[in-house]
Amino acid sequence: MKITKDQLLVNGKRNDGRSPDDLRSFKVTAGVLKKAKGSAMVEWGKNKVLVGIYGPGEVFPKHLTNYTKALVNVRYSMAPFCGAEEHGRSGPNRRAIEIGKVAKHVFENIILTRDFPRTQIDIYIEILQSDGGTRVAGITAASVALADAGIPCKDLVQGVSAGKVNDTVLVDLDKWEDNLGEGDCPVVVSLRSNEILLFQLDEVWTKQQVLQGFEKIFNAAKVLRQVQEESLKENYKEG
Amino acid sequence: MILLPGAKLDDSLKGMYGTYTDKSGTYASTISLLKQDRIVPLKGTYVPIVGDVVIGVVTDEKIFGYEVNLNSPYTGIVSNKVCREQLYLGDVVSFKIISVDEVKAASLAEPRKLYGGELIEVESVKIPRIIGKNASMLNTIREKTKSDIFVGKNGRVYLKNGNTTLAINTINFICKESHTSGLTDRVIALLNSEKPEEKIN
Repeated sequence: MKITKDQLLVNGKRNDGRSPDDLRSFKVTAGVLKKAKGSAMVEWGKNKVLVGIYGPGEVFPKHLTNYTKALVNVRYSMAPFCGAEEHGRSGPNRRAIEIGKVAKHVFENIILTRDFPRTQIDIYIEILQSDGGTRVAGITAASVALADAGIPCKDLVQGVSAGKVNDTVLVDLDKWEDNLGEGDCPVVVSLRSNEILLFQLDEVWTKQQVLQGFEKIFNAAKVLRQVQEESLKENYKEG
Repeated sequence: MILLPGAKLDDSLKGMYGTYTDKSGTYASTISLLKQDRIVPLKGTYVPIVGDVVIGVVTDEKIFGYEVNLNSPYTGIVSNKVCREQLYLGDVVSFKIISVDEVKAASLAEPRKLYGGELIEVESVKIPRIIGKNASMLNTIREKTKSDIFVGKNGRVYLKNGNTTLAINTINFICKESHTSGLTDRVIALLNSEKPEEKIN
């Protein structure tokens, strides 16, 4: 079904019936891969993301070894069948390398890397099905997977995207709002300290709109955090 | 109660395993269990600590000695001088860690070769649960299965003689259920059942 720009926001309702502040359905399962140190699967609307964590382990190539802290590597990759037409080939491309880089900076600030000098922590984010907002879904899933792996972290992090349609700020964009809307702003936050760990922005926003976006993102992150916590506690239920 | 990364523990700055501090207080850093002011991590990575008795696998032979895999991101080094007999690649040997430097490289001593048994790997944070208070859990398993069990702090368990299948099943069961209470009774029930119903992975 193809959607036009006029159909994105009609009488305060978005094309899938949500209001501007609503999130899509969000579900996390921790510990789905038995061979990985930690793993998580996120189903967020039509997005489906699988994350596996390996390490801390030996650094490869060896000359990158840091004697004071651990190296964090993030690989973001879209499966050829993920449904995003323009990314329909497997293997790293310019976009995937960029997302891997920004996600790496998020986790370098969250993982207590100084506990593990001379090691490397690998985070593999695989997008199995995509419908807009996959980088934030990947980072949200990776945070759960890191906690599942027992790697010391400062906090669980949440990623949410905000966007603009007809100058109305929306939260959690789907593919159509992302492609046809007037702006896209993925943000990753840590609720413990109210820190912003990732902030990317497309097109022209006023200061008011950005602040409005942040407010909506922080409210959404609280909802996501609750689901993340429940998924991790699920694995350690009594009886 | 289960703690997750970022959970606040105290307003003051306390240095405990599985926590970190900043200006505003002490926070949990790993998924762990809070038991009367004691933090028991549920997952983790083994990092060498001085005094630990560990089970290593020899991975390389050098001029000065041997390099040993310790089920950890960090390898151990044992000198020729402390080895009475020749070690070979793949040998399973128990060691004591005598020193750890600032980049966490471990020096080992007191090598003791382990022959002809089975070696299993479990989460290193579950080892205290397998041993139990005053080794009560370990002695129960030894008694019921008649096997010789040697436990390394790095998450490796070496078993020989007796009913090792039952012993391995029991150890895997303990690891799976380590966060629950009243585990000893269930372990004894499992050991008393003649045939374990299925192999627990």
